[in-house]
Amino acid sequence: MRTVLLARIAAFALVMAAIALVFWIQNPVYLSTGNVRALMRHMSVNGLAALGLTFVIVVRHFDLSFPGVASLSAMTLGWLIATGAPFGAAIAGGLVVGLAFGIVNGIVVARLGLPDIVTTIATGGLATGFSYFYSNGTSISQNFFMSGLLDLNDGRFLGLERPFAILALASLLAFVLLHRSRFGQAFYATGENPVAARFSGVPVRAMIIAAFVLCGVTACLSILLLVASSGAANVTAGNQLLMPAFAAVYLGAALFGRPSVPATLAGTLLMSMMLNGFTLLAIPYFYSDAIVSTVLILAISLFDPRLSSALRILLPAGRSAKA
Amino acid sequence: MTDLMDRKYALRPTVTSRLGGGFARYGFFLLIAAVFLAFAVLRPTFVAPGNIHGMLMSASIAAIMFMALTWIIATGEIDVSFMSVAALANMVVASLVQSGAGWLVASLGGLGVGLAFGLLNAGLVAIMNLPALVITIASGALAASLAAAIGLGTSIALVNTGFVGAFLDLRVGILPLVAVVVALLYAVAWFAQERLAFGHYLYAMEQNRAAVVEAGVPVTRILVLLYVLSGMVSAIAGILLAANLSSGQPYLGSSYFLDGLTAVLLGGMALKLGKPNVLGTLAAVIFLVGLLNGGSLLGWTDSQRQIVRGSLLLVGVGLVVLARSRISKRQLH
Repeated sequence: MRTVLLARIAAFALVMAAIALVFWIQNPVYLSTGNVRALMRHMSVNGLAALGLTFVIVVRHFDLSFPGVASLSAMTLGWLIATGAPFGAAIAGGLVVGLAFGIVNGIVVARLGLPDIVTTIATGGLATGFSYFYSNGTSISQNFFMSGLLDLNDGRFLGLERPFAILALASLLAFVLLHRSRFGQAFYATGENPVAARFSGVPVRAMIIAAFVLCGVTACLSILLLVASSGAANVTAGNQLLMPAFAAVYLGAALFGRPSVPATLAGTLLMSMMLNGFTLLAIPYFYSDAIVSTVLILAISLFDPRLSSALRILLPAGRSAKA
Repeated sequence: MTDLMDRKYALRPTVTSRLGGGFARYGFFLLIAAVFLAFAVLRPTFVAPGNIHGMLMSASIAAIMFMALTWIIATGEIDVSFMSVAALANMVVASLVQSGAGWLVASLGGLGVGLAFGLLNAGLVAIMNLPALVITIASGALAASLAAAIGLGTSIALVNTGFVGAFLDLRVGILPLVAVVVALLYAVAWFAQERLAFGHYLYAMEQNRAAVVEAGVPVTRILVLLYVLSGMVSAIAGILLAANLSSGQPYLGSSYFLDGLTAVLLGGMALKLGKPNVLGTLAAVIFLVGLLNGGSLLGWTDSQRQIVRGSLLLVGVGLVVLARSRISKRQLH
């Protein structure tokens, strides 16, 4: 087991080094302090959304509502700040949106038994509809300078970029929850076999609801950072979260064998390194989804268990590594 | 032959009581009639010939796009790339026409896009058995991204709409010809779904994929066919939209996404009690187009229309699940 893990970590480090080398040759600025800091900020936004999605994927469900929910959260946050609400209340308002939609998604999927994909597409559509209410669809940026929101992006915490510090803290909490507590086993058990988990005393429905809540709240946290970095809230803000979050979770799961917090962070890091590099090479923004989705398709199909087992038969060394 | 007949009757939900079943099965059509009547009374322009023509046009194009999606969802799989494939085909046609190629070449280019993405989805989902949702999210994002890249992020205006535009302008009486063509297409699809073994396999695959594979049904081939068909019909819709809007719109996909799923699931309630079927989809498309058109005549905002879409999708899913749990309960007792 240990050798497999080491081999996977080595593979990850190799891919990371290869990406860094390619972009560094193209443009040495890639590894400069300023760019690494920009990369960390970029990674924070995508990483937070992917972190919550990890839990939903672990319980073998899907959440497609978080982009819409994040947009609604961004507009709620923007509206609260524009109307002069205290900064803390505005942030709380933004996060409550994620909490509420997470609970609704969880209850509808876990208790009422509706199919997760279509249901979350519908609730995401509803959230997008609600997000138009505040300003009829125009973006909000009044009072943003005074509120202290922008400091969230620009400030430092313990020498780290503040967004990255938030991601690190959230990852730590998620890691403890998923890998160092009994709740973590319950999440995995729910995903592996809900009936068996139920009879082993796992509150399966509560775990599914918790996963959807975590996904909603982290998506809102991530949009908070995005709004802080762009300086305006708009109704399409959340759409750019969908692809990178799914790609990070699946890329990480492909690299490390199953979805987990470290795997998701590794996936996010690789994804952000690539997107940042392509931005540095002046590739226009509309190619970013093409890059992410191509990487995702390649990762899923290349790391397909059947393909790797076929390789294992061809390469005896691989077989001994598994044994 | 008797074998086939038996199987057909076994699939029919004979369990529902005749009256209640009939109401559930045809109630959706009554709802459509009631809503349309209400709009006609409240806003007489709703039934003006020009407005009806416009509604039939958009309903026809949407119905083409959602045809294969209906069957994909009926088998228990999913495709969320259809609207982006339509957007990409739309942009490919627009850019080819703009660069001087004829409409015929441009349309073939658009169809090629549909075929390519259909084959990509089919290869990954049907042949390699990878998770359909994630693969089609990714291929859809790829198509959407390429569509934006073709126009460098903006739309392409077209001066002429070629033979496709001429085809869209043809009328049979007051009906647009394309609506008649779509009606015939759906009649053929209904026949394939209800009278051919193909249709029975679709619903059997949803019930128990492993059993159907064991029974020797070419499941992989059917799924390949469905995903390729989905890419092709989406591309056709994209080509028609290029002529209808006389422009290439890179972001047209987003408005069709919710509508497609809503049409399939809401339509699943009509006629077959919770199973997506082509005639149900057609009725639901007409309902959605009419509702959104009538809503805008009544002054609904974008926000309200989006909320109506989301709510209808939720209602559709809820009804499908409710109907199925009823049927399976009655079959048990």
